Amino acid sequence: MGELASRGVLRAGLAGGVVAIYVALVGLYTRFADLELVGEQITLGRVMLLAPALAAGSVVTRPRTVGGERRPVASGPGLTIGILTGLVSGATFALAVAFADWFGVDRIREVFVQISEALIDFLTFGLGVPSGLLALIAVSVAGGAIGGFARTAPADLRKPAAVGILAVLLLGLLQRIVPIIFVELGFEADWLYSPVTGGLTWLGALLIFAASAAGSFLLTRDGGRASERMRAKVQKAPAAKVGLLVAILAAASILPLLLGTVISEVLGQVMIYVLLGLGLNIVVGYAGLLDLGYVAFFAFGAYTTGLLTGAFLNTTTGAAQPALSADINFYFAVCIVALLAAGVGVLIGAPVLRLRGDYLAIVTLGLGEIVSIITASKWAQPLIGGPQGMRGVTKAEIFGLNFQDNPQHFYYLALVFVLLALFVSRRLSASRVGRAWNAMREDEQVAEAMGVSTIKFKLLAFAMGGAIGSLGGALFAVSIGSLTPASFEILVSITALAVVILGGLGSLPGVVVGALVLIGLPGLLREFEEYRALIYGGALVAIMILRPQGLVPNIRRSRELEADEASQDAWAKAATGEAEAVAAVVPGGALGGEPEDLG
Amino acid sequence: MRKHKFFAVFAMFAALTFVAAACGDDDGGGTGGTGPTDTTGGAVDCEADEFGCVEVAAGAPIVLGSLNAISGDTAFLGTDVNNGVILAIDYLDGTLDQTPGQLLGHDVELVQEDDGCSAEGGQAGGTAIAANPDIVAVIGTTCSSAALGVADTILGDKGILLVSAANTNPGLTSEEAHQPFYARTAHNDKIQGAIVAEYLFNELGLTTAATINDESPYADGLAAAFRANWEALGGTITAIEQVNSGDTDLGPVLTSIAEGDPEVLYGPNFNPVCALTAVQAQDIMPDVVQVGSDGCLESGFIESAGELSNRYIASYPDTTVFAEGAFYQDEFLPAYEALSGGAPTAGFHAHGFDAASIVFDAIEAVAVDDGSGNLTIPRTALKDALFATSGYEGITGIITCTPLGDCATDVAIGLFEYPFWAVEGGSEPADPVYSDVKSLDEVI
Amino acid sequence: MARGTKDRPTEERGAQLGRLEGLPWRKIILTVLAVFLVSILTIGAFKTLTLPADQRYSAAAWRDFIILGVAQGSIYALIALGYTLVYGILRMINFAHGEVFMFGAFAAFFFADAYAASGFLDSNPVASMAILLVVAMVTSIGVALLLERIAYRPLRNAPRLVPLITAIGASLFLQNTARGFFGAQLRGFPVPSALEGTWTIFGLELERVQVIVVVTVVVAVAGLSLFLARTRTGKSMRAVAADSEIASLMGIKVDRAIVTTFAIGGLLAGVAAVLYAITFQSVNFSMGFRPGIAAFTAAVLGGIGSISGAALGGVTLGLLQSLGPALILTGYEIPSPFQLKDAFTFLVLVMVLIFRPGGLLGSGEAEKV
Repeated sequence: MGELASRGVLRAGLAGGVVAIYVALVGLYTRFADLELVGEQITLGRVMLLAPALAAGSVVTRPRTVGGERRPVASGPGLTIGILTGLVSGATFALAVAFADWFGVDRIREVFVQISEALIDFLTFGLGVPSGLLALIAVSVAGGAIGGFARTAPADLRKPAAVGILAVLLLGLLQRIVPIIFVELGFEADWLYSPVTGGLTWLGALLIFAASAAGSFLLTRDGGRASERMRAKVQKAPAAKVGLLVAILAAASILPLLLGTVISEVLGQVMIYVLLGLGLNIVVGYAGLLDLGYVAFFAFGAYTTGLLTGAFLNTTTGAAQPALSADINFYFAVCIVALLAAGVGVLIGAPVLRLRGDYLAIVTLGLGEIVSIITASKWAQPLIGGPQGMRGVTKAEIFGLNFQDNPQHFYYLALVFVLLALFVSRRLSASRVGRAWNAMREDEQVAEAMGVSTIKFKLLAFAMGGAIGSLGGALFAVSIGSLTPASFEILVSITALAVVILGGLGSLPGVVVGALVLIGLPGLLREFEEYRALIYGGALVAIMILRPQGLVPNIRRSRELEADEASQDAWAKAATGEAEAVAAVVPGGALGGEPEDLG
Repeated sequence: MRKHKFFAVFAMFAALTFVAAACGDDDGGGTGGTGPTDTTGGAVDCEADEFGCVEVAAGAPIVLGSLNAISGDTAFLGTDVNNGVILAIDYLDGTLDQTPGQLLGHDVELVQEDDGCSAEGGQAGGTAIAANPDIVAVIGTTCSSAALGVADTILGDKGILLVSAANTNPGLTSEEAHQPFYARTAHNDKIQGAIVAEYLFNELGLTTAATINDESPYADGLAAAFRANWEALGGTITAIEQVNSGDTDLGPVLTSIAEGDPEVLYGPNFNPVCALTAVQAQDIMPDVVQVGSDGCLESGFIESAGELSNRYIASYPDTTVFAEGAFYQDEFLPAYEALSGGAPTAGFHAHGFDAASIVFDAIEAVAVDDGSGNLTIPRTALKDALFATSGYEGITGIITCTPLGDCATDVAIGLFEYPFWAVEGGSEPADPVYSDVKSLDEVI
Repeated sequence: MARGTKDRPTEERGAQLGRLEGLPWRKIILTVLAVFLVSILTIGAFKTLTLPADQRYSAAAWRDFIILGVAQGSIYALIALGYTLVYGILRMINFAHGEVFMFGAFAAFFFADAYAASGFLDSNPVASMAILLVVAMVTSIGVALLLERIAYRPLRNAPRLVPLITAIGASLFLQNTARGFFGAQLRGFPVPSALEGTWTIFGLELERVQVIVVVTVVVAVAGLSLFLARTRTGKSMRAVAADSEIASLMGIKVDRAIVTTFAIGGLLAGVAAVLYAITFQSVNFSMGFRPGIAAFTAAVLGGIGSISGAALGGVTLGLLQSLGPALILTGYEIPSPFQLKDAFTFLVLVMVLIFRPGGLLGSGEAEKV
């Protein structure tokens, strides 16, 4: 217990307090203070009050590795430590609130616009400054206690409880979506979601908690035996694997029918980004080429599809014919678009692909920006409409299905494209091409020496990635029907990259998961729209530091990254005072001593 | 072997998905098609109405949708419109007393969706609204990019009436693009461009102008409308320039414009481009008259521009012109301030009020009460009633809807000299230096 | 046995192909490309300069374009120095440096706003400017050090891709943090009256701020070069940049050198922030994004890792942005050429990197690893 020096508690507590202050300053409390999750008392704002202390308590009590031995903290001390951490965290935050109140909320608002009387009111639970602060500290203590206890409780208890709470939170957040599903299926949702507050009822919350906790318990008891057995069974029998695949596909196919138009629309957008992610995965994940300008192919696909399928320009007088246009059936047009995009990929790629990693990144960024700028330019206005854009992209009608007006139908079209891209990616990665890419990615010079023509394979990656990206653009054009330059900015490139990274470089299921998280969740939780970019940025940083191999890692790639985890841990160890022992082993550590004059 | 199996599975599912789609195709939500209600003696034939009817049970609220920019950088515009709508609901009982009134004995509920000032946002918000079978009509969108080809089509395909209080892009009500269920109380920018051109050419006697617009469809459209009218009057356009919305260094482009020696610099943009142009053009073109539009006229401009040595004029809807002018100053504005805690953040709150008001009138005209408080509102009839609005005296002017959806047919645009603007930070008296009323058939 | 006769045609074909392969294809394509590009540029310039007299730019306009370009470019150069220093020592592009710049500008803004309201700004311009600069520098250094500690240090030994993506994420995060803290509104930055107006130097009438910016860059480059060459800290920074493992074996504290690098980059960014805010009289949460991209483009253009390269790249970039549309695009009668200035600049960057992968002052060869 003495090892968990008070330093650790102080540090984590302070960090928790600082995080809470940050959340207040950036306006999350004010925004979500009234979003009821469960009943009337548990609002998102209040949960966010608990969260920093909880996280701090959890971090402090995590198991230590001393001398190769993993030593978890017992739950008794864990609770105490958690309480202490929560106390520090709460005290820090309370101090800040007291200061704000003393200094004058209006004066602070001249700099930090989110600070207001209403915020102070919320933070003090309506009790005003002295007494409310005690309540605030109490909440932090509770949070820290929960965090500490959760971390140190027996695993059998911990996981189900965590899963239960997360499920309640998630379903509380989805309060505008889940009732729609119920209505679509013909059920009443009043027992689950209160029509008065919009959030979960207490009964509903308890049921959800019980159900998910029980489910988790059954899966992970005996140290996860049940799920491991299931996984082993699936691994062994290829028939079971195909069966699983079929089941997933079946589920994916009936989803839109169950979930209604709103969710289908979100799923459609998810599918578009899955497509973009798959294309970028070939370029970045397989071939290791950092492409920061993927929006170029996306825009190319969208506008070319528009031009080939008879869309027209928006003008002040109504509509105008583009300088070059054709009226071809979508399904022919899309093939032409993909081929053209591949060609463009080769054309652009040829001169720049021999550049080294960072230079390539900047060049591709520049190319993306060039395309972005041209879509809005007056120069290209006679062709693609300039700032006012184009409309009237084809609805891609086939077999009586209308993909522009019906989000449920569109989902199927997108699904087909995604399956195609998945198929292509899978085949490529397992083929000679994939192996060449692996070699190239791991060490380019060695690959060249072994006779792998890096230029050829890089071009192939670029071409394939470009073709798939342009398909994503084509789909986007069909789904919206109206193209404006605002849809083709650098954020698209960064989002696509985030999807691939979050899911795991080189991992196909990872791309789907990444898209679901980064596009699906914000699509469903429109309340967070304002903070979307903030969350993207934070998520990218967090993933890279904590789990660079992504959420669903590709085994081979994660081994490439694993070697560096030892060094990452070195920094964390140094923080707990074990630097001396480790520094002797890890190269590059600070060895002390005076720097010599290098003359 | 594996490869064939995979391909077979894939092909099978591609086929299956299409079959499933074709079979599972229900009409999707949104028509509120609970079928024709056999109301006793009801004169409503819902089956004949292409889009069916909306049923409002006794005691249930009439649901109005709002599709505006309520988050992000254009939130000041969207919330402004929303406030106008809320005040219209308040005014249902005849007074602005901070308590909502009732329409035909039912409360009015406002369901808010975000249009995100983009095509994607318009699609997402429009789909969400279309999926709600209770929504009778929608006030929206804020940004033209969310409406044009997107929300107007999504809602129009379900027969849901969409009335915008802020879309000014001329294309929305053009012959080629207009959707049957779309109308707007905001002015058509052709009128704004024409009035500004006339003022500068006729009143101030200036003959040469340069336009500079940012990447928004609004700015591009308004600048084009101005140019068309300017040249028709006999003026010369010396330069047509565009900048990116994120640019800060406007020195080179302004230097290039200065070469043509224009007397007017027309920059109908949003902030910050408006403010940056105003500030940077002072030194490069010291004698030019700078003109902005309703996108510029907000408190942010005043804060960033400070004192300007050029003459700067912005065009803006003039709400003092019409008979209801007193109403606006004496009742509406105080009620707005009581509602939102401050002065209006943008210029379309009055249009929001008018839009909601004519929608309520149309509902009153076509809704059929079966005697016990249950209302049936046929969608197409509602639309027809709205488009038949004529001579309605709104705060923004006389409202007569044209078949192409322009309801603000007599539009009053005023030109306000900086810094005498009616927003926070502006100086008094905030009267226009010029004001005119025009209708659509008078402009190009 | 059957080999001899059958293979002769193949051999001959092989020999023919060999001759084809022996041709320096890359050189040929590159030369053709170079000729093509240079001709486009010269034809464009020629057409611009030979436009009919009423459409031509006056000499005063050209002078203005050049001055504006150099002034803007100098600001880019100051920011680019930060990028190039960090790249030299960590081999990573600190995408979030633009946000380091932006926070410095905001900090200076709050002080400047208060001083302008009280009149202090105009009555004591030197003192107030000094305070603004210090405030901006301290804030920028603070943000830079936070970045280094939280986002970059844990990833010191990760593959190149990882810190790059972290930097992009950090950039997004910091931008939106500023948006949450300070609001999305553009704020007007007050200019001390002592800095308004012009000075006449060598017969040229220059804005005072522009002169100060150029002088600052010259001083900064000279100072930085001296610092790196003469001081102990500077030398240790160079050593770590050259090879961090050997440097640490020699007893140099690598962490400290890296922290110092970020600090210096932050310091320069803070100075640039104040100058930028005064030049454009505005601050905004997204003000770091475009200048950030421009600045590291400048650093790469000049040859990343090199101090003089960053300075040269910055000024070149500024000139490209103002002269590019004016000189080249106008000739082709492209409508609204100035909207394309960023596109033009990136195109030039791509071209430069194709022919000189190390940048203008780089080695001229594709650097491996």
